Amino acid sequence: MTFSLLHATDFADRLLYNIIPPLKAGMIVLADRYAYTAFARDATRGVDRQWVRELYSFAVRPDLALYFRVPIDVSLDRLMARRVKLKFYEAGMDLGWSANPIESFRLFQGKVLDEYDRLVDEYGLSVISAVGSITEQQRLVRDLVAKHVETTHVIRSAEVLDEQPA
Amino acid sequence: MNNLPEPTGAAIDEPISGRIQPGRYYGRSIPYLPINGYPGKLIAVEGTDSVGRTTQIQLLREWLEVKGYGVVETGWTRSPLMQPTIELAKSSNTLNKLTFVLLYATDFADRLEKEIIPALKAGFVVLTDRYIFTALARAGVRGVDRAWLRNLYGFAIAPHLVFYLKVDVDTLIGRVLLSRGMDFWESGMDLKHGDDIYDSFRAYQQRLLREYASMADEFNFNVLDARRSINKIQDELRRKVQAFLEPSQ
Repeated sequence: MTFSLLHATDFADRLLYNIIPPLKAGMIVLADRYAYTAFARDATRGVDRQWVRELYSFAVRPDLALYFRVPIDVSLDRLMARRVKLKFYEAGMDLGWSANPIESFRLFQGKVLDEYDRLVDEYGLSVISAVGSITEQQRLVRDLVAKHVETTHVIRSAEVLDEQPA
Repeated sequence: MNNLPEPTGAAIDEPISGRIQPGRYYGRSIPYLPINGYPGKLIAVEGTDSVGRTTQIQLLREWLEVKGYGVVETGWTRSPLMQPTIELAKSSNTLNKLTFVLLYATDFADRLEKEIIPALKAGFVVLTDRYIFTALARAGVRGVDRAWLRNLYGFAIAPHLVFYLKVDVDTLIGRVLLSRGMDFWESGMDLKHGDDIYDSFRAYQQRLLREYASMADEFNFNVLDARRSINKIQDELRRKVQAFLEPSQ
């Protein structure tokens, strides 16, 4: 519970200082992880699913939510290629499911992925396969993002000019 | 900008009241911590600043221990995990009403998991100096959504007894001025109702008292007149605690 609540506190702080002000100013906010991370991770740690969702009901619903889906083995390979040691919480070691960090990571992140799969339908996440090359993924991302941004920004800049004092 | 959920599944804001069972979770439980059938008892002493909560708890504790009960005490913001963070956050100007509420909730969750639940499991009488009602009152005054707050604290355990030490605002002001004086947060200066600390304190505490009063029925408060002498209040507390712990005598 404290793990969940501390992250919610951090999220609330960033929401009010770093996310809402730029949104009000008409800017695009890119969030690396969002409340969905908490939904998946906290539920895996045994926190009530509905409770976490209601906890985050103060969050702004994103215009577009991208979920990069990757099989456990791929993510494990990528992590191990970059650094030797898995982080304690990332591997879910706090849950005591296995004393072996790699085994613990498999068990924990496997359940986290199951939780993400629930979220895809529940919140309409756009799934991108993160197995492909960076270029392939980026092309998909740009296509999805383009649909959301191309409609408004030209008109908005004209309005701002008109408001300037003479 | 829509707010996030309206998720699938169960109804969202079931009110806490009406289905309170002492010793059980108020709302959505902590699934990994089942608490049914734990032998301990949870007794909360609530009230605004300077109503004598701490004194009363100390006297109650001595009395209970002489009678042979194991007693554990816990109090607001006393968790080892969160106390330094909360002090740090209060000393800066970066807290807003949401992070304020969530920091307190984290502190409470830590004490619940590490102190209160283990003590209840072991059969202790747990005396808690302030409980979630303090958080609900403070957040309520600051305009935080009530249904959201009640869901947030759904993981709290309903105490077997809640004593609310009630005073009027004039008595409260007298006592605070005679002891520590008025501080920034107790005066609700963050609400920015004006620069005058006395006026702000009075207005803020009055609103707090109204919040507590509005919770009295919802959460089955035992309301005690805290304007009486320490001994009078303690006598009444002991009578009521004894009647609960030893109903046959």
